[in-house]
Amino acid sequence: MAIVVRLDEKLHERRMTLTELSERVDITVANLSILKTGKAKAIRFSTLEAICAVLDCQPGDLLAFDPTQPPQEE
Amino acid sequence: MTRPPNALPLARLLIRGLIVLNALYACAIGVLLVATLIYPKLLFDALVGLDGADAWQVRAALRAVVIVGIAGAYVVYRVLRELLAIVDTVRDGDPFVAGNARRLQAIAWWVLAGEGLRLLVGAIVLGASRFVPAIDNIDVGFSFAPWLAVLLLFVLARVFDEGTRMRADLEGTV
Repeated sequence: MAIVVRLDEKLHERRMTLTELSERVDITVANLSILKTGKAKAIRFSTLEAICAVLDCQPGDLLAFDPTQPPQEE
Repeated sequence: MTRPPNALPLARLLIRGLIVLNALYACAIGVLLVATLIYPKLLFDALVGLDGADAWQVRAALRAVVIVGIAGAYVVYRVLRELLAIVDTVRDGDPFVAGNARRLQAIAWWVLAGEGLRLLVGAIVLGASRFVPAIDNIDVGFSFAPWLAVLLLFVLARVFDEGTRMRADLEGTV
């Protein structure tokens, strides 16, 4: 997928684990893991808002467009 | 909130029972058709006493009704099979699949075909009543309810199709 999720890098910067983020944004580790590994098909604004609030970042810090990646399969 | 009792096993049992009964019905009228071909007297005896009942057109009409009856049994079989498949998806825990929208649409078409057959029987009986006035008031069971059910089934199939697409959109949403 051409949309790259940089959640892992941001978590590393903030010295935070996925479990910790999960507790703070009230989203299951399983779902955050789907997001982190780029397997999610869509992200809710509420999820993005919660993650940005906890990690103190902008949506653009978490998501990027990489045209060299293959498009998402339907 | 308490959940209503699970009627699924009962529904499956009922549908399977109806499939068997429908098959028996088809066999019975199939035997009747063969019997009237081998022993035409059977049919004649059944109509004895009615004016004009010995006309060949009347016998042909009644045989046609029996053939339409067998076709009707096949229509009912297809409806029951599709319904059973839908019930099975509920049992498997995922009824909101594209296959069920297609099945609902198929049921709508089969019910429509069944109503078409009913009209055909009505037309055949009407034709035969020209020879046997005594049968001109036979009730072929015409009702608006099945036509309404067809409309409802088509609408439901469309709703199901849209719902399935919407769920597919939501899958993988975090």
